[in-house]
Amino acid sequence: MFWPLAALYLCWIAPERGWWFPSEAMSPLGQRIDDLFYMILIVTTVVFIGTQIALGYVLWTGARRTDPGNEETTWFSHGSHNLEVMWTIVPAGILLYIALYQIDVWREFRMRPYFPQEQMTASLTRMGVDTDVPGDRALAEVTARQFEWRIRYPGFDEDGNLLPLMTDPQPTDLYTVNDLHLPAGVPVMINLLSGDVQHSFFLPELRVKQDAVPGLVIPVWFQAEKSQTYDLLCAELCGWGHYKMKAQFVAEPEQEWLQWLRELHELQNEDGVEETDE
Amino acid sequence: MSTISPTVDTHAGHGDDHGHHHDPGFVRKYLFSTDHKVIGIQFLITTLLMLMVGGALALGVRWQLAFPWESMPFFGPLFASQGGQISPEFYTMLFTMHATVMIFLVIIPILAGAFGNFLIPLMIGADDMAFPTLNMLSYWFMWPAILFFGLSFLFGGGPAAGWTSYPVLAALAEAAPGSGGAQTCWLIAVTFIGVSSMMGSVNYMTTIINMRAPGMTLFRMPLTIWSMFITAILQAFALPVLTAAGFMLVFDRLPWSVHSTFFVPSGLVVNNAEPTVGGGQPLLWQHLFWFYSHPAVYIMLLPAMGMVSDMLACMSRKPIFGYKPMVYSMAAIAGLGFIVWGHHMFTSGMNPALGMTFMISTIMIALPSAVKVFNWIGTIWGGRPQFNAVFLNCVAFVSLFIVGGLSGIFMAAVPVDIYIHDTYFIVAHFHYVLFGATLFGVFGAIQFWFPKMFGRTMSDTIGKWHFVLTFIGFNGTFFPMHLLGVAGMPRRYADPYLHPYLEHLLPMNQLMTISAILMGFAQFLLLFNFLYSMRFGEKCSRNPWNANGLEWVAPSPPPHGNFESVPVVYRGPYEYSHPDHSDDYWLQTEPPGAQPGAKPQAAPA
Amino acid sequence: MSGKPLLIIVPLCLAVFMTGCGSSGIEFREREETAELIPPAQDYMEELLAEHFGSPTASVAWEKLPINYHAATATVDEAGESGSVTLANIGRTLPINEGQQILWFVDGSAHSGQVAGFDEDLNALTVSPPAGADQNWAPPAPGARLTIGPGETLQQGRLLYAEHCQHCHGVTGDGNGPTAEYLEPRPRDYRLGKFKFTSTSTVRKAQRDDLARIIEEGIPGTYMPSFKLLTEEESAAIVEYVRWLAMRGETELRRIEILTLDFRAADAETQEELDEMIQEFAEAKEDDFPNDFADETEQIADSWRVAQEESSVVLPKTPRTPSSPESIAKGREIYLSATAKCVTCHGESGKGDGPQTMQVAKDASGQNYPVPGLHDDWGRLIEPRNLTTGIYRGGRRPLDLYRRIHSGIKGTPMTGFGTSLSDEQIWDLVNYVMSIPFEDRAPGEGPFVPSESAPEATVAKSE
Repeated sequence: MFWPLAALYLCWIAPERGWWFPSEAMSPLGQRIDDLFYMILIVTTVVFIGTQIALGYVLWTGARRTDPGNEETTWFSHGSHNLEVMWTIVPAGILLYIALYQIDVWREFRMRPYFPQEQMTASLTRMGVDTDVPGDRALAEVTARQFEWRIRYPGFDEDGNLLPLMTDPQPTDLYTVNDLHLPAGVPVMINLLSGDVQHSFFLPELRVKQDAVPGLVIPVWFQAEKSQTYDLLCAELCGWGHYKMKAQFVAEPEQEWLQWLRELHELQNEDGVEETDE
Repeated sequence: MSTISPTVDTHAGHGDDHGHHHDPGFVRKYLFSTDHKVIGIQFLITTLLMLMVGGALALGVRWQLAFPWESMPFFGPLFASQGGQISPEFYTMLFTMHATVMIFLVIIPILAGAFGNFLIPLMIGADDMAFPTLNMLSYWFMWPAILFFGLSFLFGGGPAAGWTSYPVLAALAEAAPGSGGAQTCWLIAVTFIGVSSMMGSVNYMTTIINMRAPGMTLFRMPLTIWSMFITAILQAFALPVLTAAGFMLVFDRLPWSVHSTFFVPSGLVVNNAEPTVGGGQPLLWQHLFWFYSHPAVYIMLLPAMGMVSDMLACMSRKPIFGYKPMVYSMAAIAGLGFIVWGHHMFTSGMNPALGMTFMISTIMIALPSAVKVFNWIGTIWGGRPQFNAVFLNCVAFVSLFIVGGLSGIFMAAVPVDIYIHDTYFIVAHFHYVLFGATLFGVFGAIQFWFPKMFGRTMSDTIGKWHFVLTFIGFNGTFFPMHLLGVAGMPRRYADPYLHPYLEHLLPMNQLMTISAILMGFAQFLLLFNFLYSMRFGEKCSRNPWNANGLEWVAPSPPPHGNFESVPVVYRGPYEYSHPDHSDDYWLQTEPPGAQPGAKPQAAPA
Repeated sequence: MSGKPLLIIVPLCLAVFMTGCGSSGIEFREREETAELIPPAQDYMEELLAEHFGSPTASVAWEKLPINYHAATATVDEAGESGSVTLANIGRTLPINEGQQILWFVDGSAHSGQVAGFDEDLNALTVSPPAGADQNWAPPAPGARLTIGPGETLQQGRLLYAEHCQHCHGVTGDGNGPTAEYLEPRPRDYRLGKFKFTSTSTVRKAQRDDLARIIEEGIPGTYMPSFKLLTEEESAAIVEYVRWLAMRGETELRRIEILTLDFRAADAETQEELDEMIQEFAEAKEDDFPNDFADETEQIADSWRVAQEESSVVLPKTPRTPSSPESIAKGREIYLSATAKCVTCHGESGKGDGPQTMQVAKDASGQNYPVPGLHDDWGRLIEPRNLTTGIYRGGRRPLDLYRRIHSGIKGTPMTGFGTSLSDEQIWDLVNYVMSIPFEDRAPGEGPFVPSESAPEATVAKSE
């Protein structure tokens, strides 16, 4: 019965060895998810230690009782009503608390009325998008396919103003593959689609995961705290190349993102002539 | 045999009717036998063989994770490989079939099929199942399933959509190498397994309701029987949904069938084929599948819980702690088990509002599980535990089930599940429950009821060695998976190290693979012990463990018809170390007031 | 793979798996035609390829081919104190790191050293003597041609290829890995030396950049995924390895084509004829083959070398005509015209269903293909692009479409129209092609008016 100790020890040293979260949560929601994780971890660790000690204790005393020469009799008991009630009600309370405590985060992450719409709109306004146009506030459409992420961004109008993202592809749209760029520090929303089978959009550092379901357009929002590159991968079996769906999510300040988008616009409309002229 | 009255004179000698049976010849006796004991043993041996197959597939998976793209022993050369590498679709097939074999051909049939069959009539004092022929069919329906699963390997790549077979991957033949004929075979096989389980479950319910021995009231039934009963109910209600879903998927798939599109929406372009046309919804499959498969998780666990309860009480020489709470909590698990399927789908894109309700029901299902754990500990508490292989396996069951149960809370909490869903944390969790709990329970149960099956005992020494090695191997393999999950390593990746943030996990995966190999080879001990003891084990009496249950009243092995005379039940099955009784066990059939230590009436020496 | 845990594990596994992991069988596959040759010719082919290319695990750096086998090559410009030299003409595929081997020749005899340090800014390399060097060892003198990290690019390329590419494209690059049979279209078979989507003119081979771009961007609409996150060096190493496989395949193919003419076993009807054939072969092997082979090699190497030159790149002379209804209308005219004949394959509405897709085509040997439709040089049935989907395999920049029209898609019936159409005409055609996916909106109606119901549809669908 050493194994609970070994398990605890392993958990103890795990963070140092890097066998833990890939990084600190890089989004406010992710931090709250981590907090919840740690809360459950503490509760379960206490229960784990408690029950394993209890198990060890009853085994140890039991073993002593079976020693030759020990005259102690077996405790004849069919159970205890009080104990049963106690160990039903106490865990019930704890579990219910854990359950109710989670609801907020879930609601904000997934339920559209609780999305940070205002912040998203404000961000779009700052970037000069006409937010009066009906539609959602998504900045990119991510289409998962076997085995890559194809991403569609809104383009610019003739005056160089950023357009809102339309549901249908537009001639002005800009495209990248496996390379998602979005503003950092503000909530951003993407529309998640699948072109063939089911995939799952997974940003481990941001603690974001959402399946891409064929036939559905699923809005996902997240907020990257820092301007840096994050991993983006697939978390739902999508065929033999499931593990190959390796992409990056680059978060950068709003204006830099806009600038990047402009460069993408230039690149996408390249006709190869300037190069020879210069 | 439907009476539960303890006055039995009218029925005396009923068991003898079967004693007059003529010797039924080899085929009738061992192949197409209708005797529940033979069928149970058939199930047991078949499933143990399948356990080896499933384990071998798992080792293939582990090999690739520890030594990615290096020439795989045994499997690599068998299948398409080039340059000594396995191919990714082969890896996908490996884990799909590992899960399939383990779930459909090992765990479900070993619990319900093997032990359910063997124990139910013996423990309730019946001479056989209510429908012996149906029972035989339920075993023989497993073979077409095995055949079709085997056949599916032969089609391009083997089924590779995971054991969950989510459409669209599993619905469109073009979507993956294994989504062609292999997937169809797979679905047909699952349907056969479903039919087999269904026949079993109808039979168990009828038998338990109608065929209990006189005096065997519902609350005198051993917990094993309770768990089998509840499991049978679960199966009867959940299985039709899976079978229906399976047929729907087959209709979606077969080119010459009705061209339905239950699960396929429009406009998908897979492998450069024509865009799909349809109005289906892939999420529908997930709902239907998990509506069966979540209760199925309890089908895979409850019987082990029941058997462990019986074994723990016997080995601790003490009544089970809180018999009725145990029964109620099993019922509660089963009931709640029907309304938690959505927790497999938190990130799936179903209506997020459902996430909350499913979270609450899921978290609450931990409650009856906790009650059971406390009761098991309470059972050992103050007892005189016999530290033999049976007891050790049962204690391991309790200890590992705690981990499996606690890690379940992480997943039940939706926000946390967003992160750990489809990572190795999940893999760790269900291996702790299905292997850590169920299989250790089964190992104990094999050791415990082996004398009743074959009249000989298994070697306790080998049993302990098997236990120790399996236990070490098990924890070495599966505990680190929690950490992998927290580190964000997704499931079903043929090569996680492609992603830089997972590269440092390779040494840990190698450690896990060594543990898994150790564990795999430890199973040969079990197999050896089993086969050797069948022939050369120590002969034993009717009741080698000094247990109370009805099955120990019958001869070892019990003849056709089980009991010499109809047993009469006077008390519950857990009267160990009763202060009013001189022996530390008190057979259920021993009439009250009989001379202490007197031979039980129904079991003359 | 970190070495340390492996050391512990390997003995264990060997003990456990008695069968061992020995027969890994990483070998190149010969072309099917080889088996039809007379036995000595088969041996000859095997020896020839082994001599010049080796095996995947022990490859030969054959200097005749324009491949960057090595991490870097450079000429010593100046020699300084204690082994420090300044480099010029650096050709680098991989970074120069400490500990890499350096090779150079002095009067025909080989010398070696080790990289002790490298300053990127000054191009200053410090060369240290190799282990076990004798007293006479001297650093390279000015003018010496250095090979730094010999064979490293090819080796790294092979490892990366094995990890990322091999299960589809195969060890030999024949597009026949284990996964390949499930894919449509099939993975590229490099052995013809042809790559479809290039920036070079019709008759030229692919450039390194073309291959690198395909690795980076993938090919939309196929199973070739984007390997965006490979570093530049990794991508370059894979490109070199793929080019090497392509040249190996071409070398093999050219030789086989010659040998098949005279030395097919099936062509000998009697034993005497066979003996005669073997006799002839032995003579030809001595007399003609060395020269023939040298010529072939020269041609192959040249074709790849030329492709790499700047003049091979197709660039339009005139800027793109802005997309307008007029330009699109003109493009449509060209699309339907007899000069371009786009409709014959791509169909009137651009769905890729032109009349040519119903015709029976002939293969290289003049035989009819069993299935009607267009076939590529690999003998596979292919469909003309459906232009309404907006998926462009060779890239979606106007420049990419220009190049497709100007120089065609290599190895397919899509020929280049660079000679028959003017730049302006091609641009009009490009504008038209790019407008096809949006044709349900009138050309020029433009993107700026959102369709009224669309955004609501998003919301409705997602809930």
